[in-house]
Amino acid sequence: MGCSASLPDRSSSGRLVGPNSENGGASDAKNLRVKLVLLGDSGVGKSCIVLRFVRGQFDPTSKVTVGASFLSQTIALQDSTTVKFEIWDTAGQERYAALAPLYYRGAAVAVIVYDITSPESFNKAQYWVKELQKHGSPDIVLALVGNKADLHEKREVPVQDGIEYAEKNGMFFIETSAKTADNINQLFEEIAKRLPRPAISSTQNP
Amino acid sequence: MLLSLLSKRSLEADSRDAYGFALRPQHVQRYREYSHIYKEEEEERSNKWKNFLEHVEKSSELSSPEKAHKEELQAEATERKAETVPESGEEGNDTSSGKSVSGCSSERDPEKELQHSKETKKSKVQTWTLIRSSLGSIENMMSFRIRKGKIMKDKQIIVDKDHLPSEAASLGGASEDDVEEDVCFSDALNDSPDAFTAENSVSDGFSDSVKVAGEVEAMDGGVPHSVQSIGTEEAVANGVPPEPFFPWKLELESLVHGGVPTDLRGEVWQAFVGVKARRVERYYYELLAQETNTTESVDKDNSSGVPRKWRRQIEKDIPRTFPGHPALNEDGRNSLRRLLLAYARHNPSVGYCQAMNFFAGLLLLLMPEENAFWTLVGIIDEYFDGYYTEEMIESQVDQLVFEELVRENFPKLVNHLDYLGVQVAWFTGPWFLSIFVNMIPWESVIRVWDVLLFEGNRVMLFRTALALLELYGPALVTTKDAGDAITLLQSLVGSTFDSSQLVLTACMGFLAITETRLQDLRDKHRPAVLAVVEERSKMGQVWKDSKGLASKLYSFKHDPIVTEEKKTTEEGTTDGYVSHSKSGSRNLDELLSGTSVDSEVDSLPELQDQVIWLKVELCRMLEEKRSAVLRAEELETALMEIVKLDNRRELSARVEQLEKEVAELQQALADKTEQEAAMLKVLMWMEQEQKVTEDARISAEQEVAVQKNAVHVLQEKYDKAMSSLTEMEKRVKVAESMLEATLQYESGQAKALKSPRAATTQGNTKKLGILSFGLGWRDRNKGASDLKSPSEQREPSSPKDKTGEEEKGHAK
Repeated sequence: MGCSASLPDRSSSGRLVGPNSENGGASDAKNLRVKLVLLGDSGVGKSCIVLRFVRGQFDPTSKVTVGASFLSQTIALQDSTTVKFEIWDTAGQERYAALAPLYYRGAAVAVIVYDITSPESFNKAQYWVKELQKHGSPDIVLALVGNKADLHEKREVPVQDGIEYAEKNGMFFIETSAKTADNINQLFEEIAKRLPRPAISSTQNP
Repeated sequence: MLLSLLSKRSLEADSRDAYGFALRPQHVQRYREYSHIYKEEEEERSNKWKNFLEHVEKSSELSSPEKAHKEELQAEATERKAETVPESGEEGNDTSSGKSVSGCSSERDPEKELQHSKETKKSKVQTWTLIRSSLGSIENMMSFRIRKGKIMKDKQIIVDKDHLPSEAASLGGASEDDVEEDVCFSDALNDSPDAFTAENSVSDGFSDSVKVAGEVEAMDGGVPHSVQSIGTEEAVANGVPPEPFFPWKLELESLVHGGVPTDLRGEVWQAFVGVKARRVERYYYELLAQETNTTESVDKDNSSGVPRKWRRQIEKDIPRTFPGHPALNEDGRNSLRRLLLAYARHNPSVGYCQAMNFFAGLLLLLMPEENAFWTLVGIIDEYFDGYYTEEMIESQVDQLVFEELVRENFPKLVNHLDYLGVQVAWFTGPWFLSIFVNMIPWESVIRVWDVLLFEGNRVMLFRTALALLELYGPALVTTKDAGDAITLLQSLVGSTFDSSQLVLTACMGFLAITETRLQDLRDKHRPAVLAVVEERSKMGQVWKDSKGLASKLYSFKHDPIVTEEKKTTEEGTTDGYVSHSKSGSRNLDELLSGTSVDSEVDSLPELQDQVIWLKVELCRMLEEKRSAVLRAEELETALMEIVKLDNRRELSARVEQLEKEVAELQQALADKTEQEAAMLKVLMWMEQEQKVTEDARISAEQEVAVQKNAVHVLQEKYDKAMSSLTEMEKRVKVAESMLEATLQYESGQAKALKSPRAATTQGNTKKLGILSFGLGWRDRNKGASDLKSPSEQREPSSPKDKTGEEEKGHAK
């Protein structure tokens, strides 16, 4: 059972404080369960990325996310392991950042999204990276995603900027388009590959 | 109100519900199933409401609950009556000149109010409309709640600086007489400058708590908002008024639990929120005018306008508010934009927060734009005070409070969620922040809002959330991991089409959740949230702009003396007249608190005490009556239950009996089979016996055969003996004949030798003797069957036997 391993950790870390990495990653070596949180400025396409990944749909006029919304999706990797992503899609407006710790606490993966046509959203992405480095789980997998890659004629954030910033902070970087579905599955597959696999010994001694 | 503009045809029947909202494809079927239930409920409740409103109108005409105040304001009332003449003249003009002037419609004859509001519904450009007079009583009751709340706040000097300064600021703007759209409106008002007191409105069902800005200024120097000014006057005149007694309040409550009829909803909501009492004339248009001015002049982060980030956020969110809703066309979106911008200006401590776009959109569907603005002001400033501010402190506090309540009410569920590592706030946070918009089906959202706006606090939020957990907790307990639990809950909650069940579960199942209880819990949990917020703001200087302001605002709210100066200077630097009006309003506050306390001391005559006591008594009795009615209903349902149970019992008895019979029959059958078996055994036994006898018979027969055989053998022996006997006889004959021949021969010889005569006679006698013996023996043997031995037969003639033996031996 994956849950049993996470239970003592929870009680010791308490509800309000301290990252809780065990909670997000999980299970046996073959079937991973991963808590993933999407962060980023409002309107960069967080919900669209999730909807594209989970349902294969794209709605140019999707609703504003209030608070957060949840979806889950399981993918199979080539080495016949499966990864179940439990995705928390958070609200983008600045003030909702006050609630973000509730969702990124204990997350194994944080996907930080910006809009390649908006330098402001790139700044906001850097804010989130700092916040997670400070308050996230120590072994959290961070991904920096430049979305709306289909709007390259309006691009204002050069690819190089994204790559450099990600490299500097030890993150995985990719540019995606939820509209055209470009790189969406690749994003999640790459994340899955980078996940720390639970060691066999640890599953035996919870 | 945009909803009334919707033609039925514009709703794509399949994918949108009666309110024009998109349905999720998986819910279309369920919605169809429920839509006729909704229809029936709607008919039922519109009848109930009709009766109720008629009843209330009558009773409020008969006995005005505020005679005491009425007397004191008699003078004003008569003054106002005089004013109604020109008004009705204007009314006549309005109706004759067509409906294009709905924007100016503010003062109407009560009799024509209903008709009027119907007419204005048709017109396209609606900005402000009074609600129908039949709802005036409700509105009046709710207005008292607002005023009372305000006065209480003033007295306790818990001055809600959160939105007071902003109101003052905007009123400062309102004093500038630069609004063009509103000329007609204000003209009408200037005709009746005193027609604003709610006291008057009670007596004649007509009220307009409108005050011309100039008058307000004259009164006080500062510019308070109208609610306060009313409060002031009341405080001056007759102390803190006791909340007037409304005998139909409980009835109204139960009606609200049953839902508000669709065509009344917009107006009833306004009445609940107390829009009329909140409204400040022209305030809304001032806000808009400032907005357009600032956007025209400079599109920079102008402190007097809406900060750029909010404007940008609003622009981003407008197309993402109920996307595709038929009413949110170009006009609808412009309305939404104006509303949100005006609010952001009105209350800078909130500005714009995602979620408000949905609330504003919903309100715009039900009422004209300005009415929607004041309703939104009531909801965000009062019911959800501190919820949507920069730090969202109250929202976080509520989550902690709610978690405690969940732990208390659903220990088993919480255990399971803890086990899965799911935090309650993960899913309830969005519920609370969106007030269930987009979380549960629309019919349910609106029913929850009915109650929430009626109660005027966030109790219904908690009760509904608890009801959802009560409904779906049992299913949640079966889930195996966090993802499944949340997915399941989301889909269950999203298909809560049984709105009546939800509201009743919420209202009846969680009566222990009251505002006082919640307040206590909030006070308990608030320090934890504040500590975290403070820590965050200290550590991360990243949100330098917003966080600083918000935390300041918050501490300002909780420690007014220390931060007030800071605040004032801050405001002062941004905008000159704001600080001026603010200090003005502060003066007013002081004045208010002073006067209200004073008046409280000397304005409590015994009579009033008695009246209050009687009212309380009556209230109590009504409560009792209501609980009795409830109890009766309960008992009735219980009886029904029992009857049902009884039937069940009878049935089960019969079933039992039948079962018994079946058992008996089975027993009998078993007996029979046993008997049969026994018989069979007997038969077998007999057969065996028969066989034995048969065997015996066979063996007997065999014996017989053997005996027969023996008999046969004996017969044969006998025959042999007989044949040998006959042979012997033959031989005897031969021997006889030989003897005869011998005898003859001898006699012949004797004759020849001696005296032939003597010798012959002697010889003859001898010869005869032997012959007769032989014959006699033969005869005896021939008689045969007797078993006498031949020796015995021979005994009598034993001498002859010797001869016979001799003869035999001789013959041999």
